[in-house]
Amino acid sequence: MLVIGLSFLASAQAPSITVIAREGRKPLPITAINSQDYVAVDDVNAAFATTSREDRLAGGLTITARGRSIVLTENQNVVSVAGRLVTLPAPPLRRDGKWFVPAEFLPRALSAALDVRLDLRRSARLLIVGDLRVPRVVARIDAGANNVAVTFDITPNTETRVNQQPGRLVVQFDADGLDLSIPLVPQQAFVQNITPGDTPTTITVTLGPRYALHRVTNSQPDAGSGRLTIDLMPATTDVAPVPAPPAAAPDTRLVIPAQGPSTGLRTVVIDPGHGGDELGTQGAKGTLEKEITLSVARRLRTLIESRLGLKVFLTREDDRTMPHDDRSAFANNHRADVFLSIHANSAVRPTVKGAEVYYLTVERAEAEARKKADENATTLPALGGGTRAIDLILWETAQARYLEQSATLAGFIEQSLRARIEMSPRAVQQAPFRVLVGANMPAALVEIGYLSNADQEGQLATASYQDQVAQALLDALIKFREFLEH
Amino acid sequence: MTSSPNRRWAIITLIGCAAVVFAVVLFTGLSRLLSRPAPGTAAVDPVVAPPAPAAAPVVPKIKATLYFASEDGLHLVPTEREVPLAEGAVAQARSILEAQLSAEAPSPFVSTIPKGALLRGIFVSERNEVFVDLDPAIRTAHPGGTMQELMTVYTIVNALLTNLPNLQEVQILIGGQEADTLAGHVDLRRPLRKNESLIQHDAP
Repeated sequence: MLVIGLSFLASAQAPSITVIAREGRKPLPITAINSQDYVAVDDVNAAFATTSREDRLAGGLTITARGRSIVLTENQNVVSVAGRLVTLPAPPLRRDGKWFVPAEFLPRALSAALDVRLDLRRSARLLIVGDLRVPRVVARIDAGANNVAVTFDITPNTETRVNQQPGRLVVQFDADGLDLSIPLVPQQAFVQNITPGDTPTTITVTLGPRYALHRVTNSQPDAGSGRLTIDLMPATTDVAPVPAPPAAAPDTRLVIPAQGPSTGLRTVVIDPGHGGDELGTQGAKGTLEKEITLSVARRLRTLIESRLGLKVFLTREDDRTMPHDDRSAFANNHRADVFLSIHANSAVRPTVKGAEVYYLTVERAEAEARKKADENATTLPALGGGTRAIDLILWETAQARYLEQSATLAGFIEQSLRARIEMSPRAVQQAPFRVLVGANMPAALVEIGYLSNADQEGQLATASYQDQVAQALLDALIKFREFLEH
Repeated sequence: MTSSPNRRWAIITLIGCAAVVFAVVLFTGLSRLLSRPAPGTAAVDPVVAPPAPAAAPVVPKIKATLYFASEDGLHLVPTEREVPLAEGAVAQARSILEAQLSAEAPSPFVSTIPKGALLRGIFVSERNEVFVDLDPAIRTAHPGGTMQELMTVYTIVNALLTNLPNLQEVQILIGGQEADTLAGHVDLRRPLRKNESLIQHDAP
């Protein structure tokens, strides 16, 4: 992996450490001696306004910084900083009448004398003066046949913005500088290069000829760091269209092409809403939500298994009461790639009808979990008696990581349902739904119609309506699988 | 758990009587009265109860925004109502919420609160989170369905946070305990913020 410090100012010259301070940035030349990075004391003086005086007789050097003295002795690993002893990984050296100190001298000795924080990032050859925000950014490229994902892992987590410019994408970081690690980019059709940008807080992704569009995903793999993923995709026309089967009848039903084994979508968990003592809502003629949801879930399972060959599990197979946590835990334990919760709706007005799709609003739950984790992880209640605090935090924020994919899934479901059944005016919405919070995969809650509407109560109980819903959800899963795989 | 129809009617009767007798009395005493065992009085429809007498002592009122379900049944319509002025955030929150829970919706709107919903208690934390403790009867009285549940929950949340902008979040408790959900969907385990997306903004 090629490591690039943001030393582009001096990149063409001798190697140097880039000093990043509030006032700006400057190079501090380094010399390799005994395979250690050394800096000349004269350069340190110039950079940090210190002075030095040599005591030839004693074989020593005194550096004065803000009235404090640092006493060095040639070939001695120990230096004295205002009377305190500090060890260095290598001794100060005298070459050709000039003094050199190892780079570690800066954070270990000079920092104490100047009373300012000096953060040396060795691999990136950065020295950060004071409390500046210089996140470490590690770039990665994952190339597939038809797309490329460029991922930046950012520590600590920092806000980013991706701007499109002719021939390139510019990633802007909300920081004072960047501690960059960029891999060698093999020339290929989507990305030609990834380089430090025109300003110290940007990275440029130079695009290749096959690039047509991109999608930006932000996620948080752990509490301290963030991840920005840019998926680069070809124009949709680039994808070979699926040839129509030669003998396909002009059938309005969806014709499903033969599908190979999938990588992105293998397991689906369907959650029939309510059950047991929990009836859900109820129509005027007595139709029960819990029965409709189970019936639709069973139809959908049969369709998915027979048409797509995926593994499908229902959170409940019969009429039983089931807590919310058990439903999402079921999906998590089965490593589901998609979680669909099926419900039937009710409104204050009997005229309201149509289907709706929901995905989670998570901002508050996420903030809450983080706040609690900061305060004291052990105060969190344990689920199932034995869950460790860290698991619970992940559990509580589980859906947060998939929010963007869940939004995409909800969009596909809405499109597919609209093609087959009537939609409510509020077709796609976000809500803080209990059953979605703990789902560790893309998840949506589908309201297949209003039992409070007399017509819909009749429809919802029929096999044909339930089949249309199941077929629409199958269509949406096919689209979502393509989305995951491209 | 199901409450007997007798008991529910008795509660409704009490609300009707309370509306008549206590319309101008401090609302803070209302819930204490309502939570007493219901006496076996004959049912009186609160809708046909005579209007409150006007000769009572003047209690200062403030204008508050209450929410009702829109004609299309998919939105919350903000509506101005007079509610008793109260001293301090907690008492004012109680005054507003009691008005919201018992308010008849102006035509053509509909109340989002199930009949018989009672406020047991209200607390405001130092961090300006409000805890609203509802009587468990609201759970059995609620018809269910995500849309109705969203409307009920956010009527309560929005009524408090719209009128008392110092307050940040509302957590709904049921029967004095942290609740999972009201009707099986909306996560009540954490405080909720105001929901703007349900509000119908072009309402009169």
